[in-house]
Amino acid sequence: MSFAAGFLRFPDLFPGRRGGEPWGDRSVVLDVAGGPYLFSGLSGVQDEAVRAKFAGLCREPDAGPAIATRVFRAPATDFLDFDVRGWEYTLDMDHSPTGVLLAGLRLMARLDWTPELTGGLWTPEAAGEEWTSVFENYLRVLAAYRLLEAGGVVIHSAGITDGASAFLLLGPSGAGKTTSSRLCLERGASVLSDDLNAVLLRESPHHPGPPLLVRLPFTGDLGERSGGPASYPLAAMLRLVKGTEDRLRPISPAAALAGLVAAAPFVSRDPWRRDALLATLERLARSVPAYELVFSLGGGLWDILQSIPR
Amino acid sequence: MSLSRVIATTWRENLLFSVLVELTYRCNLDCFFCYNDLALRGEPLSREQYFRLFADLREMEVMNLSLSGGEPLAHPDFLALGARARELGFVVRIKSNGHALRGELARRIRDEIDPFLIETSLHGSTAATHDRQTRVPGSFDRLLANLAEMRQLGLRVKINSTLTAWNEGEIEGMFALADALGIPLQVDPEVTPRDDGDREPLQVAPSREGVLRLFRLQFERGRAAAGETAEVARGGDDGTMPAPVHKHCGAGSSGIAVDPYGNVYPCVQWRRPVGNLHRQDIREIWLRSAGLAEARELTGRVKETMDAQGPGSHLLNFCPGSAATHTGSPLEIYPAAAQRRELLKQVIGEEARRPLLPVLR
Amino acid sequence: MSSVTLSTVLRRRSDVRYRLIEGEAVVLRQSASEVLVLNEVGASVLDLADGERSVAEWIEALRGELEVDAETLARDVLTFAGELEDAGMLEVVAP
Repeated sequence: MSFAAGFLRFPDLFPGRRGGEPWGDRSVVLDVAGGPYLFSGLSGVQDEAVRAKFAGLCREPDAGPAIATRVFRAPATDFLDFDVRGWEYTLDMDHSPTGVLLAGLRLMARLDWTPELTGGLWTPEAAGEEWTSVFENYLRVLAAYRLLEAGGVVIHSAGITDGASAFLLLGPSGAGKTTSSRLCLERGASVLSDDLNAVLLRESPHHPGPPLLVRLPFTGDLGERSGGPASYPLAAMLRLVKGTEDRLRPISPAAALAGLVAAAPFVSRDPWRRDALLATLERLARSVPAYELVFSLGGGLWDILQSIPR
Repeated sequence: MSLSRVIATTWRENLLFSVLVELTYRCNLDCFFCYNDLALRGEPLSREQYFRLFADLREMEVMNLSLSGGEPLAHPDFLALGARARELGFVVRIKSNGHALRGELARRIRDEIDPFLIETSLHGSTAATHDRQTRVPGSFDRLLANLAEMRQLGLRVKINSTLTAWNEGEIEGMFALADALGIPLQVDPEVTPRDDGDREPLQVAPSREGVLRLFRLQFERGRAAAGETAEVARGGDDGTMPAPVHKHCGAGSSGIAVDPYGNVYPCVQWRRPVGNLHRQDIREIWLRSAGLAEARELTGRVKETMDAQGPGSHLLNFCPGSAATHTGSPLEIYPAAAQRRELLKQVIGEEARRPLLPVLR
Repeated sequence: MSSVTLSTVLRRRSDVRYRLIEGEAVVLRQSASEVLVLNEVGASVLDLADGERSVAEWIEALRGELEVDAETLARDVLTFAGELEDAGMLEVVAP
């Protein structure tokens, strides 16, 4: 099926540029990893909804640099109706050397490097959870691309911290990211997110140090969207396996890399940026110890994590 | 009784006859030289407001209604608005880039709107050049396929092109393409700044040589078409040459343009707002707008300015709207117009020196 | 040669567009890209060609509106109707 044909009534009319009719004249800046991210063209209702959902991360725009997205109206009739019951959220993406096009549920968007990264978002959602869902789904992709530019990556993972350093728990859907997060939480750990986390590799060779696990406001069932320090040194990456005991086994950088590639959303599908992503993930795999963590429901995994040398 | 005399009457008597409506600035292409002011803000007109506007225009005996943008097909109510325009008996023109004009949408346009003409845009005779302008890969191939499909569906189509530094070497190829498709091609030799005054598009203005090449080709084609006058009209001009009247053009006198936010202008090129449909209906604006009154007075002064230029002033193909965008004044002759006159005179001179008959020995 | 008579019912063809400008009608036949300008009588005929009324009814409707004698009016209307049909602007509505 050609790009956007599963979501749009007339894929040929997909926006070719950042133009159209904005929802309003409100703007908001989000201080999220890779940002700040500026969103303009919002209605008052949309602006308030974003500020409520991402409380603590929002502020007024200023003259400083920001990754700018303009938000436009799109009619509901642009989008196909389909039954979302039992549907797993997906996005259609079309990649080119200078940009990425996105089509999804009540969402059309484009990221363009002109040469700096800018975005456009078209949606018929005026308010409520429908609007904030569209907003967040777009921001997830924007953040993934922006972080790659900034020397980082976004990883489907659980991020756990003891307040001094952090652990990245990896695994496909059903591997136990939320379960293991909950078990750690019960033992006094903090959960950054049980869904999506960012890792920023420090750039300067003169200040070597571990990569940082950076808080993202994209959570599943657990995690705080804001509050607390934004980042922690990354102590280890753990590939999760459910079991009847709690056990740790070191794995090679190559095995770690494989797990990271499988957990890197959005950009991993982009043939024009996949090499850059792989290079970043390889640096990450070589710089942070990785293990396979077999964990049981007994809750001993937090002790094991604490035992990992920093 | 001639159409040119009727048009002159509309100019003289301020009878609104042609309206161009920019339905949206959303577009499915991203042409480098697009003139839209994408930073413009306002409240978009609703479907009901458009219906009211069309009803008012019908009562005012407006004949021509052009649907433009951005890409007008991207407007959520495009089909409904087009159908209403048809119902009200307008001569509907659609100014579309043609990228989405295929399949179901093309059929619905034919069946529900029955436009008089669809005007599309071609930017080169090769994919490399055309796509360079649109910045959407594959748009050239798509356009050619869609043009063929539109013709097959019985839609009347015209191609508009603007001469640029990028396509000036492909002008013969563009005419050949259009000929092969059986579709008329009109080429405008002038790139204009954006509606907000941004001069970036002028970076791709054609060279003197490129403009000369176009004029020579147009004259040659005119000769080949058994003596028909070469068409050197400005883009957007419907080619009607009115009978003499005291104004230079119908901007604000027989024509207006409307942007997506209800701002009304004397014409699509002259971006001085003279009213807004959120605050007044079109009749009120037409009758009472001080801006329109001034525009009408100015087109009279433009006529005087052109007359003072002496014979050949028509070669300037002067547009007060372009003048205002280029120079800040609707009366000032801007460089592109001056160049057009100079180069047309040169080509006309070349034509005059051509031998009419072969020498018989 | 037109076969229009007083009892003929005519209507504007679907591709005809027209407007009245100071008593005259500017008429476009889209399919042929032809433009005509009609005088007052022609404009009135075009306006009346709604597919409901016969030519005779048009003449009746126009009596008193135009400053012309009855006989001339009838002849002109019939002629115009025929010419507009020949020109493809009007079509006969089958009984």
